[in-house]
Amino acid sequence: MTGFTTGRRALLGGLAATPFLREASAQGNQPYVLGTLFPMSGPNAEYGTAFTAGIQLAMQHIAADNMLRRPLRLQAEDTQALPQQGVIGMTKLVNVDRANYVMVGFTAVSKAVAPVGDRAKTVMVNGGAVGPDLAGLSPFFWNVIPLAHLETQALLPFLVRQRNLKRIALVYVDDPLGDAILGILRTALPAAGGELAGQFSIPRTAQQFAPVAARIRQTRPDAVYIASFGAQQSQIIKQLRDNGVSQPLVSYSAMNIDSVRATAEAEGLIFTTQVTDFAGGDAVTRRFATDFRARFNSDPGTYQVNYYNAARLFGLLAQSLERENAEVNGENLRRALLAGREFDLVGGKGRFDDQGNMSAELQINEIRGGRSVKIG
Amino acid sequence: MIAYLTNLAALAAIFGILASTLNVAVGYAGIFSVAHAVFFGVGAYAGAQIALVLVPDALLAMLVAGLISGALSLCLALPALRVRGEYFVAASLGLQMMATTLFSEWKSVTGGIGGLTGIPRPHVFGVEVGTLPLALAALGLILLATAALMRGAFGRTLRSIRDAESAAEALGKNVAAAKALAVAFACAGAGVAGALFALHMQFVNVESFNLDQSVLIMAMVIIGGTGTLLGPLVGAVILLSLPAGLAFLPFIPATEVGAVQQMVYGLAMTLLMIFRPAGLVGDLSRGKSMA
Amino acid sequence: MLFVQLLLQGLQVGAIYALTAAGFALIFGATRIFHFAHGSSFALAGYVFIFAMQAGWPWWMGGLAATLTATLFGIGVFWFVYRPIQRHEGSFFTVFVAAFGVGIVVQNLIGMTAGRGFASVDTPLSRAVEVLPDVFLAQVFWVAVGVAAILFAALTLFLTRHNAGVALRALHQNPDLLRAYGLSSTRLSLLAFALGSALAAPAAMVTAMTSGMNEAIGHQVMLISMAATIVGGVGSLRGAALAGLMLGVAESVALNFVDTQWAEAVSFLVLFAFIIFRPSGIFGIAQAR
Repeated sequence: MTGFTTGRRALLGGLAATPFLREASAQGNQPYVLGTLFPMSGPNAEYGTAFTAGIQLAMQHIAADNMLRRPLRLQAEDTQALPQQGVIGMTKLVNVDRANYVMVGFTAVSKAVAPVGDRAKTVMVNGGAVGPDLAGLSPFFWNVIPLAHLETQALLPFLVRQRNLKRIALVYVDDPLGDAILGILRTALPAAGGELAGQFSIPRTAQQFAPVAARIRQTRPDAVYIASFGAQQSQIIKQLRDNGVSQPLVSYSAMNIDSVRATAEAEGLIFTTQVTDFAGGDAVTRRFATDFRARFNSDPGTYQVNYYNAARLFGLLAQSLERENAEVNGENLRRALLAGREFDLVGGKGRFDDQGNMSAELQINEIRGGRSVKIG
Repeated sequence: MIAYLTNLAALAAIFGILASTLNVAVGYAGIFSVAHAVFFGVGAYAGAQIALVLVPDALLAMLVAGLISGALSLCLALPALRVRGEYFVAASLGLQMMATTLFSEWKSVTGGIGGLTGIPRPHVFGVEVGTLPLALAALGLILLATAALMRGAFGRTLRSIRDAESAAEALGKNVAAAKALAVAFACAGAGVAGALFALHMQFVNVESFNLDQSVLIMAMVIIGGTGTLLGPLVGAVILLSLPAGLAFLPFIPATEVGAVQQMVYGLAMTLLMIFRPAGLVGDLSRGKSMA
Repeated sequence: MLFVQLLLQGLQVGAIYALTAAGFALIFGATRIFHFAHGSSFALAGYVFIFAMQAGWPWWMGGLAATLTATLFGIGVFWFVYRPIQRHEGSFFTVFVAAFGVGIVVQNLIGMTAGRGFASVDTPLSRAVEVLPDVFLAQVFWVAVGVAAILFAALTLFLTRHNAGVALRALHQNPDLLRAYGLSSTRLSLLAFALGSALAAPAAMVTAMTSGMNEAIGHQVMLISMAATIVGGVGSLRGAALAGLMLGVAESVALNFVDTQWAEAVSFLVLFAFIIFRPSGIFGIAQAR
């Protein structure tokens, strides 16, 4: 009993002491701290791994180019995509690690940590979540990903006019993202000349979709829109295909992960992402694509691009602040962002609006032979 | 650092309330519920709605949240308390799963998976206060009430139910009433914790009130030691600070940090149970078989 | 036609639930241990099968490897986790917390080694074809239902004819009596864990082919198994299997009447109703009170 108590005290004491030690020793050439709040364990961990890869590459490039006078340090906090863990991680990043810049993903986590960052005036950048209520959360909350409603709007004319897919059934997780997509299909789809054939809300934890497939078949759709994320996406695709839904499947950028591309049933899946021309793009894009393949031995996806851009954006903003000898803090970063507005990022020029949302060109992709191919 | 520790301490106090109140049901009355997060959630939504719609008064929010949770638990517990042991565990499990679906679907009140945002910071009589003192005060009050209750006749009745329900019944104790009262007290406490949680996080969504959370609270009680006043608190502090503490380990590669943390966490739970099955504060000689 | 379709799909899922639930009930009946890590056996078996298939092994070798993994894991958890706790007369929930910890470790171990996210076995067996107007059926349906039926027949034979099987059945009624007759209850417990965990393997293999696996799947399996054991009546293998089948069918057929988001809640509504109105379960031997 006593052994345990002392052990615990020592542990907690040790916890309390570590950060102070670090602060004291690193005063001189203290690194800039890039914090991340991603799911690194649990069913959504695939995203956390993908997000981090983009940031790691950007940090490598920033260091290689000697863009900044001070080094960079990555501080990862696992959120498991849960808001409560997110807030704990965010308070730690802000108060203990004194993060200069925090990158987040996932709608619920983003919404939960936004007040913390807002109070501390710490910049938070989202490159993964596409819930439309993420715009304007705080002056310090920026998005480097076009939010979902834009993606869906871009897709509808293509489906109706070019592919003649008019009746669309929606399978969606009933969160702000799914809600937004449902809203757009209800309003913009008729406007584009189509029709919402049916809507099927599913719990986030659901695993069995064969019965849902039966219900979908009954509505006789021309295409099925899937609005989910993580491991569930592949499960839906496989089970719809297995259970007699042969119509084209369509979706948004969350499909751009390895496990979906590797699912045999995902062949022919149509989804939107922002424009990335790895072969013929500008120098930044080409360098990203080449080095990404060299370092991770796989093709980069949208998320790696977005978070590479998020980290690169920090490099660019901090560089301009260092030039004018201004402190790299939230307010100055925001000032630099609004002063610059346009930045050379992967995929071309990234333009930011007053709220810090980046707009980007969208493209439509299809999965062919396990690779995502641009079709529109 | 101070702000970080304050935040952790406030969460620890809130989970301390949850664990101590669950302990009243588990440790003193022998009622094993894996639905404590349901009442935590009910309280959180009630508190959040009061703060959003009426006034951000913490005391009012806590009071109403406690009342609603307590009353609701009575309605649900009365039929369910007819069964014992594993059956009650399973009943509470069913309740937890249904409540999770309801929390996700009843959007006008709970905001669904999107949750409720923009909950104002807690005030007391118009003055903004931190969550930590509030939570500590609530925790202190609840512990005092628990201690007082358990020392009295009510406590003896509960313990006799836990140790031998049929015997207690035969001795003329009103088993049903005592059990119901214990459950109502425990769930009202969870409601209070919920209101505090909503005001502290300024954001609530269904993911904080699912089965995992219920199991976590249960684990806090078991790891700390059931039927002791201090045990659940120790359990809450350990289970909250363990992942947070592991976050300070510098040598774990960034992409594996979550998995390694979780594995250490899981391993710690298992090992603690193997080597201290009665909990850290628990009395080994009194560990008794439930099944 | 929708009803027929949903019923068939429900039977397929129900057969899987029945297998895992029967394993859980067998273990619980014989050892009185609520084996919460049962879902981990399931997940491990499924992933081993997926790995084996990806490595190009014949299916029966993959199946053997998966069954062996599940069995060894079940025995291991009993020997290294439950047995020490039971020696301390650990309470119900001590076992629960310990098993929950094991579940977390296994889930993250799978995540680190097998990659995080979706994994499945690609097979034409799971591809459904139209057998009646608007009714689709895949060959895997017959696999699931057939395997479940054969295994139950074999298990019933074993439990009624074989000495060890009879002892196993007797164990949950009175462990002391059995010990008095000189049969080691530890050895019988080991047998129960081995058999019960092995039952999860075929279910996991079918799941790997149909709905696919993710690292967190064990959690759901554990819930369903537990619910089925209660609904079926604690201690009744037949009841657990039937209840598992019923939960699968209920979850699926419910979509004939309600919207899709309520499917999951239906199973637990059934569970809740059973506990309130018929706590002894379908074939309950012991009353709850």
